[in-house]
Amino acid sequence: MKLVRHAGERFEFQLGGREKDLLMEILGLYPRIPSAYQRLSKSAGSEEPNQRLLEEALAEQRRENKKQLQALLADREKMTENAQGWRLALTSAELEQLLQILNDVRVGSWVRLGSPESRLEVLDEKMAPDFWAMETAGFFQIRFLQMLEKGTNRS
Amino acid sequence: MEIATPEVAPIIVPEQQEKPKSGLEPGYLVVCWNDPVNFMDYVTHVFQRVFGWPRKKAEFHMLQVHEQGKSVLTRESLEKAEHYVHQLQKYSLHATMERDE
Repeated sequence: MKLVRHAGERFEFQLGGREKDLLMEILGLYPRIPSAYQRLSKSAGSEEPNQRLLEEALAEQRRENKKQLQALLADREKMTENAQGWRLALTSAELEQLLQILNDVRVGSWVRLGSPESRLEVLDEKMAPDFWAMETAGFFQIRFLQMLEKGTNRS
Repeated sequence: MEIATPEVAPIIVPEQQEKPKSGLEPGYLVVCWNDPVNFMDYVTHVFQRVFGWPRKKAEFHMLQVHEQGKSVLTRESLEKAEHYVHQLQKYSLHATMERDE
């Protein structure tokens, strides 16, 4: 995957066929973070009104992200096939949203693995899909960040 | 005839030790906590986006989170602190707001 064009608010990425399939598979896992994962405060209980409001706001955000993600993936102007694979065209706002989605998949997969504090030494069959999702989401996240920085420095 | 005047002792008003904080006072800290899953570059990027900080300042706070377990990012009113916590959590960072006691 590489950044092929960046002009103002618009980014264009070139993906190989396998990369595109992997990205679609990862994005299809969104959302992954359990709704009660985030706390407003270390001392706030789940029954506190502000905590409930926060959970509702985050749930609404995820619904909106999911809707926009589905629209983006269905948009033939955004993802077009070419001789080298696929061209993905995003605005900087869409790229930010994609980063949020990828990190949700990464953190949510880590939560499913039991929120390990250090690198997992042993992987069993049951854990493998979550580990794969965490690592693959992280791979795309880092690549997008590197290209975003490259594009921003270049402009 | 003498008119008795009562002796009036001066009233000493004790200094107020603690002023109750309203939701508008900047008495809430926005704190980001370390976790082993968020990438350092990602955390830096999020701080830049949410607070509009230059890269150096964002990196300073990211390193504080990484090395000291947490970083106080800003001190705000209740409303603003809630707003920032929500923004950081949208990016799935481990952020909370705490009363500045």
